[in-house]
Amino acid sequence: MGYFDAFIRQFRARLFLIILVNNALIVADWYIVDQVVKLTGVWALVALLAAPVLTIGLIPWLSANTLTQPTKFIWQAILHIAPTTASSVTAPKPEQLTFGRDLVMNLINQLYQLASVIHGLEQTNARAAQDLSVNFVAQSLPLPLIVLDSEDKIVYANEVTERYLGKTVADLTGQNVYTALDMSFVSDDTLSSWLKSTKGKAVTADHKWERVRIGLPGQNDSLQFDLAGHYNQDNSLGYETMLVLFDHTEVYAQDDQAMSFVALSVHELRTPLTLLRGYIEVFDEELGPNLNTELKEFMKKMDASAQQLAGFVDNILNVAKIEDNQLTLQLHEENWPAVVKNVVRDLSLRAGVRGITIKTDIAKDLPTVGVDRYSIYEVLANLLDNAIKYSKGTNEIYVTASLNKDGLVETSVKDFGLGIDTSILPHIFDKFYRNHRNRAQIGGTGLGLYLSKAIVDAHGGQISVISKVDEGSTFSFTVLPFSQLQDAGKTAGNPSITRNAHGWIKNHSLYRD
Amino acid sequence: MEPAAAPGKRVLCIEDEHFISELYARALTRAGYQVDVQLDGQKGLAAAQTDQYDIILLDLMIPNITGIEVLRTLRDPRLTPKMHAKIIITTNLEQRDDVRADIEQQADGYLVKAEITPHELVDFLSHIDA
Repeated sequence: MGYFDAFIRQFRARLFLIILVNNALIVADWYIVDQVVKLTGVWALVALLAAPVLTIGLIPWLSANTLTQPTKFIWQAILHIAPTTASSVTAPKPEQLTFGRDLVMNLINQLYQLASVIHGLEQTNARAAQDLSVNFVAQSLPLPLIVLDSEDKIVYANEVTERYLGKTVADLTGQNVYTALDMSFVSDDTLSSWLKSTKGKAVTADHKWERVRIGLPGQNDSLQFDLAGHYNQDNSLGYETMLVLFDHTEVYAQDDQAMSFVALSVHELRTPLTLLRGYIEVFDEELGPNLNTELKEFMKKMDASAQQLAGFVDNILNVAKIEDNQLTLQLHEENWPAVVKNVVRDLSLRAGVRGITIKTDIAKDLPTVGVDRYSIYEVLANLLDNAIKYSKGTNEIYVTASLNKDGLVETSVKDFGLGIDTSILPHIFDKFYRNHRNRAQIGGTGLGLYLSKAIVDAHGGQISVISKVDEGSTFSFTVLPFSQLQDAGKTAGNPSITRNAHGWIKNHSLYRD
Repeated sequence: MEPAAAPGKRVLCIEDEHFISELYARALTRAGYQVDVQLDGQKGLAAAQTDQYDIILLDLMIPNITGIEVLRTLRDPRLTPKMHAKIIITTNLEQRDDVRADIEQQADGYLVKAEITPHELVDFLSHIDA
């Protein structure tokens, strides 16, 4: 209360001074009128009244201005704090005060402290409101949302999670995510591998997974989700990783059924084929030496037909995969002459039974290429198979490989048979398209070239054809040297590159090497 | 007939198609392997875990326990502590490519049966086992 006592003293002193001045003026007025100027009568009365009239005007003015000064400063402080006027009013400077300064400074300090407390309260309320709305959003989200802390423990799960995963939020909270969720991924690109490679290396990161299976407690069937993860190292609440699950169980089940129809058909075709090829081999081994020339030829033809059928079954499967966007390639560094010779060797039997010789001319010092050896095998096998089919009485097929002017490895298959009419050439790589003129003479579905083009495209190469009726056809395709592929894929020493038949998909190794 | 490539090496063929296992066993025996055949996943797994084999030929579509499950169990050191055999997948079942890559990573070889003859299998094993 010391400030207030001092204020009263100062107030009293100023009041005293003002009254003193007032009285002094009146006395001085009287003295001047009565003693100096010596006025009398009406003029004296008027002159004597002058001083009180003057002070009646002067005193309130003086008192008001002086004595209310502290109040003005406090008022200014309040305006400065108040939210509606804060921006237009400057902070008061109570040190300019001539009296009541200590009290005013103290009061203003108190006011500012109060204001900051109120401001803090407001913020707390706002955050609480925000927390409530965030919680509302999380709970209303029709997707399971799971939040992990820095040790991969579940710190939050919304109620939808319960419905999907059959575990209560209370059960999930505090558990390690890998214990709580029985997840399996289609590759070694898993949640744990992502978090392991992200933590300590990135501040924020996002990742997505498809076809994540999550097993349910006490059930044989698992659900299939797409999973999206967001990682944030610096989250002040300790919410380091957010996971959102998208239930695609039904969609994937349908995909799998469509695919599994083809897969099962192929399986059923392949089993008898395996046996046929096995028995043909046994017969060839046991009886071969004793057979006459005609029967030996029949045996070879039977073997060649079985091989051809096996190749066709692969074609069906791969076309189904391309249609379903499921054909993926693993591009590895390969020795191209070895790949070519491997295909030529396998197709030689089929050519041989038709009296055709496959001749190869492979340039020396070809660079290694980046190819998926299974798929590119099928490209060359299909081109050779066609060349054999359409050779029509001619007895040679040439396979050449060299480095072309663009620095790509170009491989050509040249036959001297029927050839293709120019009107048909533009459609030759379309699905199910076949040379109408030839349909009656030669079997085939028109899948082979369509498939070959899709595979070559996916390798980043090009396929082309030059043909003349009755002179034969030359099919050529390019593949990239492995060194160029690495540049294109920015793989940085990655030994394997994954692509699907419609372009790049991802850029990580699924292989151990 | 080629000379015996692997005298005494033990092969377990887990294959439910009896005619196929018969053909494989014939070719492998002639090449000098000792061959046991199991027709389902459960028995195959039990045999692989109790006996010491050098090579296991594993079909994927087999009764009782799937080939993938057998593979996982044999590759998990907690479930199968001492596992020295090379595991070669021999299947006609087509997988999604990413699933196949995952299986290939766990196995020592992956063969489509329709694409090879018994002799080619023997040839493959002599290389993988070198």
